[in-house]
Amino acid sequence: MSGEREDSRMDIEQVKERAGPREFSPKDDLPEDYRKAATRMIQFHANSEIMGAYLEKPFIRQAPSLDRKLAFSAKVQDEIGHGQLLYRAAESLGVKSRDQMLDELAAGEGKFLNCFHYPMENWAEVPMIAFFVDGAAMRRQATLKRTSWEPYAHAMDKVCFEEGFHVKHGEDIMRELATGSKKEQEMLQDAFETWWPRIIQFFGPTNEKSTHHDFSADVGLKTMTNDELRNAFLNAYIPKARKYGLELPDTPRIRDNDDGTYEVVEEDLDWDEFFTVAKNEYEPGKGQINTRAAAQDAVEWVRNSLDDWESKGGATTPQAAD
Amino acid sequence: MAVEQAGLGTPDDLSDEEREAVETLLYRLADDELVLGERYTEWQVRAPTLESDLALANIAQDEFGHARLWYDLLQDFGADEADLIYERDPADFRHSTLVELPFEEGDWADAIVRSYLYDVAEDVRLEALAGTSYPRIADRVGKVRSEEEYHQEHAQNWLERLADDEEGRARLQEAIDRLLPYALTLFEGDEIDARIDDLGIRTESLDSMREQWFDIALPFCRSLGLDTPEGIREDPKSFLPEQVGRDGDHTDDWRDLHDEMTHTYRELGRTEAHKIMPDPDETDE
Repeated sequence: MSGEREDSRMDIEQVKERAGPREFSPKDDLPEDYRKAATRMIQFHANSEIMGAYLEKPFIRQAPSLDRKLAFSAKVQDEIGHGQLLYRAAESLGVKSRDQMLDELAAGEGKFLNCFHYPMENWAEVPMIAFFVDGAAMRRQATLKRTSWEPYAHAMDKVCFEEGFHVKHGEDIMRELATGSKKEQEMLQDAFETWWPRIIQFFGPTNEKSTHHDFSADVGLKTMTNDELRNAFLNAYIPKARKYGLELPDTPRIRDNDDGTYEVVEEDLDWDEFFTVAKNEYEPGKGQINTRAAAQDAVEWVRNSLDDWESKGGATTPQAAD
Repeated sequence: MAVEQAGLGTPDDLSDEEREAVETLLYRLADDELVLGERYTEWQVRAPTLESDLALANIAQDEFGHARLWYDLLQDFGADEADLIYERDPADFRHSTLVELPFEEGDWADAIVRSYLYDVAEDVRLEALAGTSYPRIADRVGKVRSEEEYHQEHAQNWLERLADDEEGRARLQEAIDRLLPYALTLFEGDEIDARIDDLGIRTESLDSMREQWFDIALPFCRSLGLDTPEGIREDPKSFLPEQVGRDGDHTDDWRDLHDEMTHTYRELGRTEAHKIMPDPDETDE
């Protein structure tokens, strides 16, 4: 990976040639274009874990039973753990350090999933994230077990395993609300109508509008297109939504292909909002980024103190017991 | 782990007086753990590093898990979780005021000092319960103790690191000055404590536990260059804060916290707290 070994550095054509599941690792001297594209993708993923956890955290306290509180707290902790794992996978490309990526997130430069730019206000919204968004994430992550950057694929093994439990728990929260009082059912339907368009936009714009897809696909970082993922998600999750008595809102229109598959009418979705969100310029999201940044800023003194300790040869930072 | 002597026997065997003593002790245990866990979760996504975030989240979950074990023993006497948490008047909670204080943004020193003071006291308390005459408590002390050990180690490691530089030490000192009086409330009680001791539900009195706690915590703080107030050992009562918690008198912050904790339960109009995990009695090794 160092510049001294210019002769061994692969060029993009060689990368495309070899591209396949888990094909590349830190042992390979990859061209900068590949390393930058992979960093961008994994950093986005890692940031999303952190901002998702930020959004869900208040519901640990607001969970309506002790069992739910425990399960939900474990979930938020898992998401932070995924962030940690993914930043490590991103760091292994040698483009950016973890601190750099966390600083970029605090500065509003780090990008993350559209859904995590919106506020969450009540418990009925919890399954919108913990079931639908996590379910959508699962679909995408499952395909990333075959991504060409091996450390990323490896992280996906653990992430997908844990995410499977989260989605089950999210579904259970939804089932509880869907079979609860009339008020609970109404709150759930309201939450669904608010979140459904954003959830569909999770997969990004159609392939034609996506700027990064071709290169990422050519070098094996992505293995499925946005459209394929979105359609697979709709096919699986529309029946699930209906199973819990949820009614799809009128817009965006969904075409039922009458063969168990569905498609969304893309122009019904608010792509201006989506791209505002994507630029970190959407208001609630901006507030969420800044509040997190302020909280991180407030503990800067601890990080300085730790750096101090480590430079004096102190033992390693206290670790999570795992 | 089961106690050899018959002791107090099963929940059904207890006289009214015995039952009141057992309940008094259990409410303090359960409420302390629940409320402390609640406060710790405030650090999720806000801790100084991802590693420290994960570590404190682990500890918070342990505390919730312990609260669950102790509330479960209170359910032996007929109350359900909704009665014990979601529908209980906040003025009926019996936790120490140490655990209910909110954290100021960025005050990681508070989290660490609070954790240390609590964890040492918790260790002393659990040791005094290891030989309890109430078998239902005895069965659960071992599991809780094994997890608390790591908590104390975690807090100690952090204290050592932070005390090593000037700013860190100054912040720890502020936290100690503010929290030490509240920590004393962990050893407060009422007229039922004499009965708790007489019945052997606990093998050390509150006064004796406070002494043990002083023996450990004060020298450790001083060894790190941190000051502890003169005379606190000799006359702890004079250092107590206005609200001690154990008698149901709490700070306003506790009402706000209870309000947030029960918000969803009330908003949804729930009348019970749903279980999703197996009963602790069915998962005992």
